[in-house]
Order: sequence, then C-alpha cells, then structure tokens
Amino acid sequence: MRGENKRSVMVGIFVFIGIAILVAGVLTLGGQQKKFVKAIQLKAVFDDIGGLQTGNNIWFSGVKIGTVRKINFYGDSQVEIEMNVEEEVVEFIRKDSKATISSDGLIGNKIIVIYGGTTLAPPVVDGDRLESVMPLDTDKMMETLQVNNENLVEITGNLKNLTSKLAEGEGMVGAALTDSLLAESFRAIVKNLNQASVNSNRMINELNSFTSKLNQKGNLFNDLVTDTTMAADLRQSMESLKEAAANSEEMTQKLSTITDKFNDPNNSVGMLLNDPEFAKSLKSTLENADSATYNLNRGMDALEYTWPFNKGFKRKKKEEAKENN
Amino acid sequence: MTEKAEDRKPLLSKKIDKFFTGLADAWNFVRRFFKEVFVPPYEFKEVIHQCYRIGVESLPLIALTGFIVGIVFTNQSRPSLANFGATSWLPSLISIAVVRAMGPLVTALIAAGKVGSSIGAEIGSMKVTEQIDAMEVSATNPFKFLVVTRVLATTFMIPVLVMFTDFVALMGSFLSVSANENVSIITFFVEVFGAISFLDIISSVLKALLFGFTIGIVGCYKGYNSSKGTEGVGRAANAAVVMAMFLIFIEELLVLQIVNAIRAF
Repeated sequence: MRGENKRSVMVGIFVFIGIAILVAGVLTLGGQQKKFVKAIQLKAVFDDIGGLQTGNNIWFSGVKIGTVRKINFYGDSQVEIEMNVEEEVVEFIRKDSKATISSDGLIGNKIIVIYGGTTLAPPVVDGDRLESVMPLDTDKMMETLQVNNENLVEITGNLKNLTSKLAEGEGMVGAALTDSLLAESFRAIVKNLNQASVNSNRMINELNSFTSKLNQKGNLFNDLVTDTTMAADLRQSMESLKEAAANSEEMTQKLSTITDKFNDPNNSVGMLLNDPEFAKSLKSTLENADSATYNLNRGMDALEYTWPFNKGFKRKKKEEAKENN
Repeated sequence: MTEKAEDRKPLLSKKIDKFFTGLADAWNFVRRFFKEVFVPPYEFKEVIHQCYRIGVESLPLIALTGFIVGIVFTNQSRPSLANFGATSWLPSLISIAVVRAMGPLVTALIAAGKVGSSIGAEIGSMKVTEQIDAMEVSATNPFKFLVVTRVLATTFMIPVLVMFTDFVALMGSFLSVSANENVSIITFFVEVFGAISFLDIISSVLKALLFGFTIGIVGCYKGYNSSKGTEGVGRAANAAVVMAMFLIFIEELLVLQIVNAIRAF
C-alpha cells in the first residue's frame, strides 16, 4: 500500500515536471513570438513578396515588433500583407512610414522592415495601409550588371585603340610621350608653373600675415570693420568734415573777394597796398609824425619844470611812491 | 472459430490471407480497446502502476539518450554550418530537429525497445501460462486490466517523456554550443524558440501521443496473441518491438506530411 502511494507520488511529480516543461516552452515561445501581447493590424501591398511567409517577422528600427498575419492576392497581380504589430510600439510608427521586404541576414528568412516616418504625421491606427517600397530585385541587379559588362567591353576596346595610338606617337598626347623636344618644353612649363606656384604660395602667406594683422583687435582697420560705435563716430566726423569743407569753400570765396579788393587801388586798403606814391606820402607823413612826437616829448619835459604845471607833476610822483611802498 | 478458418480453403493465398486476417484481428483489438476504455470499472491503480513503470523507470535511459543525441547532433552539424560561417544557426537547427522530429522519434524508439518488448513479453508469458484465462475465470476482465491500463500508460507517458527528452537534448546541445561558440543560455534559448512555432510543439505532442498508443497497443496485441509456449513469448516481445518501430516511422512520415500541409495552409 505504501509502495503504491510512493509510485503515485513519483508519477505525479514526473507528470508535473513534464507538463511544467511544456508550459514553460509554450509561454516562452508565445512571449517571443508576441502571441500574448495586444496587437493592431497594418497592411501593405507589394508587387512581389519574394517568398515571404505567414509568421515571418516585422522589424522596426532593428527591433522585432510583430509577425506577418496573412498574405492575400490583391488587385490584378499584387499581394496584400496583413501584419500583427505590437500595440505598445504603435506610437512610434507614423502614418507616413514605409514598408519594404528585406532578409534576416544574407541567407536568412524574409522579413518586413518598417522605416521612415516623420513626427509631422500622426501614429498609425488599426487597419492602416503603409506605403510599400519594392526591395532590390536580384534579377534586375543582374540585368544592370550585364549592361555594365557590355559597357566595360566597349570601354576596354576604346582603351586599346587609344593606347596603341599613344604608343605610335599619334596625336598631342602621343607626341608628348614620344617627342623629346616637346617633353623638354613641357618640363620647362612645369618648372615655371612650379616657380609660379612657389611665388603664389609666398604671396598667399604674406596675405595671410597681412589679414591676420588686420584681424588683430585694437588694430585701426579691425576697429573700423568691427567697432560699430567707431563707425558711427567716423560717419559723424565725415559729415563734419564735409560741412567744414563747405565752410572753407565759402571762406575761400570771401577771401578771394577780399584779395580782389586788396588788389584794387581804388579803395583805401588797395591804395595802401598797391599805390607807391601813396606809400611815399604815407612814409613822409609817418616821418613827420615821428619828428612831431619827439618835439612833443621835449615840450612835455620842459612843461614838468614850468609853473604852474610842475605842482601837478610833483603830486603824481608822490602818489606813485606811496603805491610802490 | 479459428480452427474452422484454418481448415477453409485460402481466398488468395495462405500468406496473404494470414496478413489480412492479422490486420482484421489488430483492427478488432484496437476497436475493443476503445470500447473498453470508456466503460467502468476503471483500473486507476493499475494505470498509475504502469505509468510508474513506463514513465518514471524509463526516464534515466531516455534522458541519457536525449542528452547524448543533443551533443552528438550539435557536434555533427557544426562542420557543415561552419563551411558557410553559420555556426550561429546551430541552436535554430538543433531546435527544429529536436522539437519537430528527434525528440518524439528517439523517445518512441527507445520506449518501443524497452517498454514495448517488456509489455509483449509480460502479456505473452501470461498468455502462455494461461494466467489470462485464469483472470477470466475469476471474473476479472483481463483486457481491461492488462491491455487498457498499459495502452493508457504508454499513451500518456510517452508525451511526458518527450518533454524531458526535448529539454535534456537542448541542454546537451547548449553545452556543446556554449563550449565552442561561447553562447549564453539566454541567447541559446532565444534562438531555439525563434526557430520553432506552436504548430511544432502541438505536432510534437500529438505525435508522442500517437507513438505511445502505438507502442502500447502493438506490445499488448503481440503479447495477447502469442502462442507456442516460451518460444512464443520471445517472438511476441521481438515482434512487438519491430512492429512498433516500423509503425512509428510510418506514422512519423504521415504526420510530417499532414503538418507540412497545415503549415503551407
């Protein structure tokens, strides 16, 4: 009886562990395949899905966000893909996002990649249809490659002709390769060009040095270029200068009029400056005045000692002596 | 009834007639099982006892086999994938192989060898020693007590054993992958579950149920119909293993076709 009980318990444990493994597997699988998360359905229409199957993954920014739910034919020969996309990532997928078919690795399963989308567009909602972009078709790539091959054959043919002409010295380039004189001339040209480039390099360096000086702060030119207050002052100075120039022009005209008048002997100053006879007469008058002043001084000296004027002179001398003390 | 049939002139030939007669007997045996299984009294204790023998006692052997299968299959697959530089696909490959096919198949084959032969030999020896007849005399339904309990036990224990085999085989594979590719257990199991689907798990469980039923019913049928003394017991045990293994492969093929059709749909 005890043995039977033990067996029952062992069988129970055995079955329990087996079922636990199964349940854990189912839950893990469901969690990984997003079977137990809320999802919305998006659609996209492609001309060719390249072997995409129900259950293949949907990627957005490199993250798996759902699976292909259903594949239906649509229109004439197009295919409509219904996708289950996790509800929690829907806010990141915009209505202007695009869907394309890609591959999980070089030889991996087909996947749908949702990309693009701008924040200007609202997030997608259940049942929205995304714009589809056809993936690169291997056959078309091969066709293009074939055209490239044909072009390459033509190019190599042309190149062959060209090199044979060059080898024979035909044309300008051929002559340059085979004619020694031309080569010398070319060498001289190159030498001159080299010299010119050295000079231009030096000039550029000097220019650089000059411009760096100009760019130094505190430099007048730099201040002129960068200091706005100085520019305003300068502008004001220029206006003042302009006004001064206008005034000086007016003054010059007046001076010219005055000098004209000075040159005219009919007025007193002109006569003074230009009439020699008047000058002589003036000189004679001044000499006479000088002589008269001398005689007047002598008369005044004599008057100091003459009564009754001598009393007044004595009083004045006393007052001057008092002030000096 | 049997003697009369043997006296009769063969319909096509003796061997062909025997083959179809055997088929009819097997069909009747299966029909009787389904008839008896739902009719009381139910032999729960005997079912638990058989579950212990078939499930718990087989676990060490089957788990060890599954572990070795996981390691060996991983190591054998690595060079082929390495040629493409795709050893990172080993967990996916092992996962598909183990869950879809290897787990149920290896478990069923080992169980057919261990359990099927045991059932065939046990019931066969009871038959030749007339213990079954004695049970009938003592008002015990030998079919219900011997056949129904064993078939139920195999039918329900093989799926549980398959779960253990899958787990242990994947752990064996992880040991190999971890040692060679430095893959963490989380990455390994993410890859494993990324490669399989619910359909794979459901088909695996259904296959295990079918294989378990086959092992049980074939073992019981061969044992129940054994004859010719102790020699017949050996034959019954051997035939139970061979027939069960053959039918398991046939069933594997049929289930694969059905699952693929469902997958494509």
